[in-house]
Amino acid sequence: MISPVKIWRRQKDIRKILGKKGKIFLWTKIFTPGTGFKKYAPYPVVLVELENNEKVYGQLVDQEQKDLKIGTKVISVLRKVRTASVDGVIAYGIKFKPLK
Amino acid sequence: MTSLIGYYTTKFGELWDKSLFDLAEEAIDGVLKATNLENKQIDAVFFGNMLAGVLGNNLHSTSKLAEILKINVPIFRTEAACASGGTAFNLAKTYLDSNSNKNVLVIGAEKMTDYSPEEVITALSAAASGEEQEAGLTFSGLYAMMANFYLEKYHYTEKNLAYVSVKNHYHGSLNDKAQFRRKITVEDVLKSAYVSYPLKVLDSSPISDGASAVVLTNNHDMIKKQKYSTAVLASEVITDTISLKSRKQIDEILATKIASDKAFKMAKIKRSDINVAELHDCFSIAEILAMEDLGFWKKGTGGQKITEESTTYGNGGNLIVNSSGGLKASGHPVGATGIKQIGEIFLQLTGQANNRQVKNAKYGLAHNVGGSGGTAVVTILSS
Repeated sequence: MISPVKIWRRQKDIRKILGKKGKIFLWTKIFTPGTGFKKYAPYPVVLVELENNEKVYGQLVDQEQKDLKIGTKVISVLRKVRTASVDGVIAYGIKFKPLK
Repeated sequence: MTSLIGYYTTKFGELWDKSLFDLAEEAIDGVLKATNLENKQIDAVFFGNMLAGVLGNNLHSTSKLAEILKINVPIFRTEAACASGGTAFNLAKTYLDSNSNKNVLVIGAEKMTDYSPEEVITALSAAASGEEQEAGLTFSGLYAMMANFYLEKYHYTEKNLAYVSVKNHYHGSLNDKAQFRRKITVEDVLKSAYVSYPLKVLDSSPISDGASAVVLTNNHDMIKKQKYSTAVLASEVITDTISLKSRKQIDEILATKIASDKAFKMAKIKRSDINVAELHDCFSIAEILAMEDLGFWKKGTGGQKITEESTTYGNGGNLIVNSSGGLKASGHPVGATGIKQIGEIFLQLTGQANNRQVKNAKYGLAHNVGGSGGTAVVTILSS
């Protein structure tokens, strides 16, 4: 279950990985999501290897089909990550967009 | 030595008129009847179940099983995502290793179709890392990432993956307990809708209800009384990182490799001795990776090998894979799957597999995976 406290705790770590550049290491496109993600579907999800070799998951936004491949250069951005919970707390998290 | 002396499984599928414990009770009654055992002859019970707590608000299922069985013995529940059944079996065997002359019941059960697909997908995602959940990754998504990586690295296409489902649906057509009894073609698979690119509906195991049970014993008099028995040569459980991103290799399940090496060493047999295997084909790519990680096929060759159809029943191959229909066609009630796999091997090794009976099957292997490879269980039986 998603609680406001859980969202708050997680968000303390998110700022550390904002604005980081990296390359797509793994990718897929989700057509049948779980609860809280339905309105975004279909959406691409990538695992990015950052320049410091750290690996971070996130959805790929502002993208075209040609960007969905291993090796595409991306940058991490802050976005809403799921539909707001019943408490009305909006969960923000990391997504990536292609680096033009 | 521990022996497996009986097996029963309910039909797998959308069983709307049956609850989780209706299914468990049917499996218990069935296996006790098959072994001519009375409830009071059971010394301990191990129960594999993943989702009853998350979906059904049902915990303390061990006590509910005591109520059904009307006995007062140790009962334990194990949870390791889709490997919950396999780990229950492993703990039952371990229990017998330290307790002589005992009979142990192992049950796996799951009730999934009471809920919407979104609810079930979310509940299953509980077995992924928090970061994977937050990115909106599902299990099909994680296996799809592995599939994309594998197809690109070894230059295969979605068509190569499709052969897994074609084989397993054919086997499912021969199994009256399977959820899907319909044969499909490569074209059917390729035309089906995407679940997570490049995996499609017909690359994916379904949402299912079902329960399966086996009885293990180390009581020699009990083994002698039984019409059918198989020896449990090895059962090995290995865990690995929950997160796919923390693995060194994406085109292998390391836990499977380690569990398999340990199991073959313990069983003192070779890979080529195995005649029948039930592998964890939650998605088509998973069976190909498993064939390689278990050491049956060389890494990277699985995409080609599967198109040769040598593991299909009736094609004269030395190793027949997923004669039950696998998770794909037989169905995947997650807690039950690991027990059904071992049960299918038992049927094959005791000549009870009817119209899908592999001739002269002497050794069999079952391979059960939890999550994207965070848990793997390898079990080897001999006739």
